[in-house]
This record gives sequence, C-alpha cells and structure tokens, in this order.
Amino acid sequence: MESLTALMGGFAIALTPMNLALAFIGCIVGTAIGVLPGIGPMNAIALLLPFCFALRLPPESALILLAAVYYGSGYGGRITAILLNMPGEPSAAITTLDGHPLAKQGRGAAALAVSGIGSFVGATLSVVLMTFLSVPLARIAVGFSPADYVALIVFALSLLGAVAPGNAVKAWAAGGLGIALALVGIDSGTGIERLTFGSIELLGGIDFTVLAIGLFAIGEVLLLLETRMRMSAAALGHGARLSLGELLSCIPAMIRATGIGFVIGVLPGAGASVAAALSYTTEKRISDRTGSFGKGDLRGVASPETADNAAQIGNLVPMLSLGIPGSGTTAVLLGALLMYNITPGPLLFTQRPEVAWGLIASMYVGNVMLLVLNLPLVGLFARLLAVPGWVLYPGVIALSFAGVYAVSNSAFDLLMAVGFGVLGYVFRKLDVPLVPIILGFVLGRLLEDNFRRAMALSDGDVLALFGSIPSLVLWACTLAAILWPILRRKAA
Amino acid sequence: MRGTLPDRALGLTLLALGAGIAWHAQSLEVAFAADPIGPRAFPTLVAAVIAGCGAFVAARPTALWEKAEQVVPGLVTTAAMAAYALLLVPLGFILATFLLCLVIALAFAARPWQAVLSAAVTAPGLWLLLDKLLDLPLPRGPLGV
Repeated sequence: MESLTALMGGFAIALTPMNLALAFIGCIVGTAIGVLPGIGPMNAIALLLPFCFALRLPPESALILLAAVYYGSGYGGRITAILLNMPGEPSAAITTLDGHPLAKQGRGAAALAVSGIGSFVGATLSVVLMTFLSVPLARIAVGFSPADYVALIVFALSLLGAVAPGNAVKAWAAGGLGIALALVGIDSGTGIERLTFGSIELLGGIDFTVLAIGLFAIGEVLLLLETRMRMSAAALGHGARLSLGELLSCIPAMIRATGIGFVIGVLPGAGASVAAALSYTTEKRISDRTGSFGKGDLRGVASPETADNAAQIGNLVPMLSLGIPGSGTTAVLLGALLMYNITPGPLLFTQRPEVAWGLIASMYVGNVMLLVLNLPLVGLFARLLAVPGWVLYPGVIALSFAGVYAVSNSAFDLLMAVGFGVLGYVFRKLDVPLVPIILGFVLGRLLEDNFRRAMALSDGDVLALFGSIPSLVLWACTLAAILWPILRRKAA
Repeated sequence: MRGTLPDRALGLTLLALGAGIAWHAQSLEVAFAADPIGPRAFPTLVAAVIAGCGAFVAARPTALWEKAEQVVPGLVTTAAMAAYALLLVPLGFILATFLLCLVIALAFAARPWQAVLSAAVTAPGLWLLLDKLLDLPLPRGPLGV
C-alpha cells in the first residue's frame, strides 16, 4: 500500500507536460535507435546525457528521458530482426529465428504485432513487479555496512566475467581498467593527485560523458567503417493479419517469458540477451509439440521479445535499490545520476522519491506510448533502415563532439574522447567487452570509498571485510562467479 | 602463432599497465591520512588485478583479430576527428563541423555531392538546434557563427 501511495506521487511527477514530452521523445528515439543496427541504447544515452546536463534538466526529467530511450530500444530491435534477419539490438538476435521465417511467409505484420504486444506485456508486468519489489529490496540493503558494500560491488564486477559470452579474464581486466580510470584525479580522502601524469586537465578526473561517448559512439562508428554495409529488408507482407485467437495462444508464453526475463534482469551482470535466449529455449521445450519453432511460430517471436523487455526493466531494479547496475546501459544511467550528485541506493526511495518514483511511474506511461507508437507506425520505423550511413553517422559524430564540448568546453576532452573511441574500437576487435569498463568506472570510486571506510572502522583489519552474514554470502557468490568460467572451460 | 599475436600484445600491454599503476601508487606519500590504508592500497590492488589478467591473456591467447575489409576510411575519420578537436575553437562550430561531416560522409562511401549535401545540412542544422533552440553556446569562429 505504501508503494501505491508513493507511486501516485510518482505519477504527479511523470504526468507534468515537460516530463510527458520527454518520455515521448525518449520513446521515439529509443525505438529508432533500436531499429538501427550498430547503434544501441548505450550509444544514444551517452549522446543525450551531456545535453541533459548542459540544459540543466532536473534529475528526474533527465532520467525519465534516458530511461525511455533504454526501454524504447527493446521495442525497436525486433523490427530489424524480423524484417532483415539481423538483430537491431544484440538482445533481439533470438527473435530472428522465428521472426524472419514469418516475414518470408508474408506474415511480417503479424510477427511485428505479436512482438510489439509481447514487449508491452513484458515491460508493463515487470514495472508492476518493480513497483512492489524495489522498496523491500532497498530495505535489505539499508543495513549494509561498508564492508558489505565492498563485497556487493566486487560480486557485481566478478559476475560480468561469468555471464559474458567471451573470455572471462578479459572482462575482469576491463573492469579493473574501468576502476583505474575512475581513480584518475584528486583523491577525495587525502587531496593527493593520482594517475594524472602532471596534467592539469586530468585533475578533476575523467568526465563520464567523455568515456561513454568515446567508447560507445565514436568507437562504434569506427567499427562500422571497416565493413561495407549492404542490406535488404523484407517487406511487411500482405499475409493474414494477427488474429485474436493467435494472440491469445501466445499469452501463456508471454507470462512465462516475463517471469524468466524479470528474474534474469534483476541478477546483476546477466542482461537481456541471456534472458531472451533462455526464455526461447524454455518455451520451445514446453510448448513446441509439432516442431514448428524455428520455422515461423508466433510464440517463438512473442517469447524472446517479452523476456527481452522484462529483463531490461528488471535490470533497473538493482540499479535503483542497491546502486549496483546490472548491465552496461543501466551503468550509463547510474553514471548520469552520479553526474547529478545523486547516489542511487537504498536511501534513494526515501531521500529522493521524486527521482525513484517519478521514473517508475513514467515507465507505465512510456510503455503505453510505445505500444501506441509501435503498432500503427511500425512501417515508418522500418523505413529508417533505408537511411544511408552517410546521412546518419556524420550527424552522430558531430552530435557526440557537441555534447562533450557542451559539458566541458575543452579541446582536451574532445581529444580524449577520440582516444577512447580508438580504444573502444581496438578492444572490440580484441574481443574485450566494453561494458565492464563502464561498470568499473561508475563503481570504482564507490568501491574504494567503502573499502577505506570499512578499513577505518576496523582499524585496518582486513578480516573485517568478511565479518557479516551478507558479506560472507556475497563473497561465496563471488568465488562461484570466478570459478564458474574456469569450470565451464574445463567441461567444454 | 600469427593469429594469437594481438592477444599476446594485449596481455603484455595490460601487464605493463598494471605494473605502471602499481609503481605510481607506491610513490603516493601523504603526511596524514584519515583512514589507516591511505590512497595507496586500493590502486595497488586494482593494478594487481589488471596485471594478473594481462599475464593470463598473454600466456593463453585466444582471439583471432578479424581482418578489416577496409582500413582507410577508419584512419581518415580518426585523423579528421583529432583535427576537429583542435580546430573547433579557432574555426568555429559550423565550419569545423561542416568539414568533419564532409570527411565522415565520404568515409561512408557517399558520392561527393551527397557528402557536401549531408555536411551542409548537418552542420548548420545542429548549430540551429543546439545554439539557437537549446541555448547551448558553441564556439563561434572568424565568421561570427
């Protein structure tokens, strides 16, 4: 009940004309960048973030806009997957399995409709779960000591290696690198310069927007430049439209997918791609009696798309309640809040209810907007795929630099963004994941602060880090997360 | 052997980076720290993680560096972006952005007239949007815009 009262307060924030307009813009931008392969929500949020800051949007409005881009992208990725047999977002990869066969049978419109409705069901049910689960989860964490926080952050970072599809060691190295980048600048505890190499520009530390734009906007464009793009989209098709009976037959699949997606999403480290894949294989095992999955079964489209959106919302739960982001995009959102000097975590719901509840309420509204936008206008979004690179990417890069400049007014930061862009490109080529860098960067200072606070409390006794039940549980989980990739490799 | 070279280089770079950070951390001397461990311990721990991971990657290289279909556009774009960082203030936003967009459009295989068109719309368009509409001041060059 308490949550409902707070949610009403959130609606009072979310329904102001400006916040409604921002959510609407975010939904359109989110769907559009979801459609475009190569640019994801992380790129778009990194691009928009400096403008939110430079325009002095209040934090709740900035978060409403940026989050709408995030969950809106979950609606866009499927369009490309179904029409092009190529995921617009990595998490939509599974959707191609049944979505593209349906498009080739002329039932593209039906596949798009069922996946749009699935996205809505998954996202909205997850927002309901989030409404009731966030505060209890935050309440557990209120009692966390600095030592418990150290264990929690180390666990979140180690988990990135365990669930990353590639090399776990590279993911951990990237996390360490992210932390090291966060340490650049003046140490808040003692006022001493660290890792600045005597540079005045680095005294204040590396700006989050510079890192995010470099890695995710500039690096991505550099990667696109090395291949010559060619693609051809399937038409929407004139086959039978989605019937009510077909939609109803997909409902059980959507409910199951919401459960799987939300749980996977809440776990830190595991993202929407894992949720979509797990949901699809589970659904196939449960309901594929005639072997129709993979040949164009509507449930095979509904299931991963529902799970994908449910996981995206689930990812926001640990970010808001614990201050620990579960994915790269939520890490960027966390970085946005940190730029506003707001530390997400257990106290957010009591100290800054307008931010936490304003966001949650706006997601109810935003998902309705997305459903309305996506059902009739799907053809319009699909047409984005015909926009050539030479129209799109000069603008992306120019906007990136304008954003960096708007925040810092410094040529040095522009150069640094180019440097991070090259680094992002090289790391992608080397199969080093970039998400841990962002996660390490936003959690690095927090980790050190809590570490030093814990040591101050225990007078330098390292054993104090293992002194409570929550910390012991979390360290055990960390050990499992570190050993798991090693065992997995042995088994393979 | 050749295929694992990039990974070995990555591992050794990380190892050197970790060693460098650790060495730098040891030089941090403070007369008084509010906490018992000071500014040194944490960077040293992080450096150890980076170096350890680097050593592992160097010892067991895996990845294959996928050969790029084309490298020239990427190199040209990088150079143009670095030049943009230095020329933005002297040239002003519109002129500098026009040149940058021109190069990037050409790198994305636009024909010359397409690139000029794309840059001529993007640069003033962004300036109108950001400087005029959203009131974010951008550098004005010799042209006054």
